[in-house]
Amino acid sequence: MNIAVCVKQVPDTEARIKIGEDKKSIDESEINFILNPYDELAVEEALKLKEAHESDVTIISLGPDRITSSMRSALAMGATKAIHIKIDSTPVDPMITATALAQVLKEGNYDVILLGKQAIDDDNAQIGPILSELLDIPAINVITKLDIQGDVVIAERQIEGGVEKTEAKLPVILTTQRGLNEPRYASLKGIMAAKKIQIEEKNISLTDNKIEIVEINNPPQKPEGKIVGEGAEAVPELIRLLKEEAKVIS
Amino acid sequence: MKKSETLPSFSKSLFSGYLVDEMVFPYPEQDKEEKENLDLILETFRKFAEDNIDSSKFDEICEVPTTVIDDLKELGFFGLVIPEEYGGFGITSTSYVRVLEEVGKVDGSIALLIGAHQSIGLKGLLLFGTKEQKEKYLPKLATGEMIAAYCLTEPSAGSDAGGIKTRVVRDKKKGVYILNGTKMWITNGGIADFFTVFAKEEIEMPDGEKKDKITALMVTRDMGVASSKQEKKLGIRASSTTEVIFDNVEVPFENIIGERGKGFKVAMEVLNSGRVGLAGGSVGGSKTMLKQAITHVKERQQFNRPLIEFEAIKDKISQIAINIYAAESMTYLTTALIDSGKVDYSLESAMSKTYATDRLWENANEVLQMAGGIGYSQEYPYEQWVRDSRINSIFEGTNEILRLFVALSGIQERGEYLKKIGKALKDPIKGFGVLSDYAVSYVKDRLTKERIQDVHSSLTESKALFENWAKNLHITTERVLMKYGKSIIQKQIIQTRLADAMIYLY
Repeated sequence: MNIAVCVKQVPDTEARIKIGEDKKSIDESEINFILNPYDELAVEEALKLKEAHESDVTIISLGPDRITSSMRSALAMGATKAIHIKIDSTPVDPMITATALAQVLKEGNYDVILLGKQAIDDDNAQIGPILSELLDIPAINVITKLDIQGDVVIAERQIEGGVEKTEAKLPVILTTQRGLNEPRYASLKGIMAAKKIQIEEKNISLTDNKIEIVEINNPPQKPEGKIVGEGAEAVPELIRLLKEEAKVIS
Repeated sequence: MKKSETLPSFSKSLFSGYLVDEMVFPYPEQDKEEKENLDLILETFRKFAEDNIDSSKFDEICEVPTTVIDDLKELGFFGLVIPEEYGGFGITSTSYVRVLEEVGKVDGSIALLIGAHQSIGLKGLLLFGTKEQKEKYLPKLATGEMIAAYCLTEPSAGSDAGGIKTRVVRDKKKGVYILNGTKMWITNGGIADFFTVFAKEEIEMPDGEKKDKITALMVTRDMGVASSKQEKKLGIRASSTTEVIFDNVEVPFENIIGERGKGFKVAMEVLNSGRVGLAGGSVGGSKTMLKQAITHVKERQQFNRPLIEFEAIKDKISQIAINIYAAESMTYLTTALIDSGKVDYSLESAMSKTYATDRLWENANEVLQMAGGIGYSQEYPYEQWVRDSRINSIFEGTNEILRLFVALSGIQERGEYLKKIGKALKDPIKGFGVLSDYAVSYVKDRLTKERIQDVHSSLTESKALFENWAKNLHITTERVLMKYGKSIIQKQIIQTRLADAMIYLY
């Protein structure tokens, strides 16, 4: 079984986002970058498959030089190969990213392609479905359980109000959701082993950008809280304000 | 390591009037690849800690749960400093201490658990062991299958380590040492399987006289080592601290570390290298405190303003930040000296420990003060920080003893030199060589003034101040040596002041 995991490097969830001077990008100078948490689930699932089926796990990512630190994190968890598609900055158009990834994925003949259901920075959740179209192989999205027997893939996915059980044949694209597994911590052993793995670099000419960011703004500041009084006598006033001012009850 | 291969100590040189600026300036930078690895190790620890370490709970139950220790073993945190050929990961001192800093940010007891194992517990074997000894024990210590403890202190021998009463007698027939005695305040005492033990042994000197000397031994739990129950302590309650008792324990001859009767040197060398780990842990603890304090003073309002807007609070916050900056700078300058592999770092290690742990205590006290009543409550982490911090100025050499050590070691070289001159002056003809040396060094001394080059313009004034005070330290050293001669050994107040001057200069 040949496994690929597409990952993205994203700002740390605790990072304080500063908007760049052009108002169209994020100021990256003080941001600590991490491996996208949903992609960690994908790496973990790939490693479980690797342990069961003795296979290689190739990490593929697209971005500037800084992303290799997150690729190393995935290697330290236990992935065996890595391909870095080198570009100056991460595209905002998911179509560009998916097209570039598809080109590399085609060359690798992978049976299982795993990726997080979405990146936590732009939350597009597009790459999995687009890859499915470009590579013409089935995609099962937002999976919470996976079982592969021979070339039959059975996955459970979250749907509104329930669970959907889906079956497909290899090769397959799977996007991962929380609950699928608990990603392992990279051990010292893994970190030292990852040191010896060479990250393969690829240069690919990107397709045209079809999405333009017009402006980025901070979310509006939360208005200050209001204390209407204390104890039972404050309740009528609170209800009145909830009805008339906040308009959250009627 | 032969003495001739060792570069001079930066601080000893400064006491003697030589500023070996290239040892400390510019500030050492970590190798890029090593830094990348370190970042991954830190990331692993941070994630693990977030999910699994509850410092306040461990404090309450007075132990680090076995599952947490097992996970840390599994991840490799017990084999950080052990070379790869023996199953460890062989990271540098800088990386190791940086890991201890990260652990110290989260929990003092766990920093001690990992630190006592590697900084001192197995360090004797690492520094002085034979290949066979290392092959036998290091792989098990690296995986944490065996946890190590360092056993020097006894009920009647703390700072005066030479006064230990634990004793070994050789049984030549059986080929074993018979070990008897009780060790006290042993970190990891209750959970360790591997003990580095220092004991008195009667040794026959070349002249036939018999003398008590210290011998260092590796003792394992299965040889019959007993531990008392967990000590009830002010802080670091989750750290295992017990007495360790040896009752006719038979230790094979081949388990000696170094040579018979040369154990005191082993004990001191281990502590020299281990101490800087405590400095790292203290820097970590201080950083967590500062972060929490800043959050508090930004949120807490009094007189309709957040506390951070008051000058008295700003002053406290700034002072803590300065303390951390200085302690951190000393710590990683020292680890870089250690990693360079050929430097006498004993004073720098002691000074980093002394300074960082003193500041840790001060910082803990100040953040609690800023939190006010909240700080005093067990609902918040401040009171545990105060309790956990307190031990650091006591163990691995009290800060008082370490100051005396810094001063006495620092002035020793100069003292010997001046003694030579004293002798030389009595016999002028024989002494020409010495005197001309002195004249040359006198000139060199004065050259220290313009030693440091290429500092940033904003530091020009600091540089001048540093050079001036470095000169003053040297002049004062000479003065007190001339004034007190041998009796300087009794002048502890002067020694402490000299050491403080050196600490601030460093």
